Amino acid sequence: MIILNAVDELLQHIKEVQEDVIELSTDSLLKMSSFIEKNSIEIDEELSTALQYQDIITQQLNASIEAINSMKGSLDRFNHAYASDENLANESMQKLQEKLSITLKEAKDKKSRFSGKTADDDLSETIEFF
Amino acid sequence: MPLVIFVDDSETALASTRMVTNSMPIEVKQYTQAQDALAEIKAGMTPDLIITDLNMPVMNGFEFLKGLREVPSTKRTPCLMLTTETKAELKQQGKALGLTGWIVKPFNPAQLKQAITRVLRLPA
Repeated sequence: MIILNAVDELLQHIKEVQEDVIELSTDSLLKMSSFIEKNSIEIDEELSTALQYQDIITQQLNASIEAINSMKGSLDRFNHAYASDENLANESMQKLQEKLSITLKEAKDKKSRFSGKTADDDLSETIEFF
Repeated sequence: MPLVIFVDDSETALASTRMVTNSMPIEVKQYTQAQDALAEIKAGMTPDLIITDLNMPVMNGFEFLKGLREVPSTKRTPCLMLTTETKAELKQQGKALGLTGWIVKPFNPAQLKQAITRVLRLPA
């Protein structure tokens, strides 16, 4: 189906942009941290938190890349099923919808899990001893 | 100096912890793969404190912790989890595996220093 091919290409493009962002932001942070360490600059809480956001951004983008890969796989399987037997299209469409719902649920769960303290205002303490 | 090892698959996360700990009287070793740290421990390295991420490919933080507890020299070594995860079930799972504490990212540098100082009983 032409429309699904277009969606697939768009997903691929988004994935590539996200991979570039991860690479650039990682490079940027490593250069900054190298400068800080070389010049023995003591970092305060604000700067430390800002630097750690990069790691959270990377985790979030990696999780959405995983979701995109899963969506692309589902679209690919649908396209193959549809091409081999158009009569199965309705059933395949339903399966596709179910797979995409699962992918969305997993992606939302990871968004919450990988946000750490940034998403949980109730967390007054970041350290808990057992 | 006491040896503290950090395990995190993110190089930038390791850089963040390094910037905080470089002024402390400790020796630091960092690993991007838990299995590499575990292999060195099995080969004789004896850390005084282990700080590990939870979500890592190949070997996650819990698997790493289980592995550590199977090695006689690290059976009781203090271990802190440093992660974005905040779920109580995961903390319970860690506690059951002998985890010393749980640190949520992004961490407060002063609190991380205090935690290391407290666990290693360094002079404040």
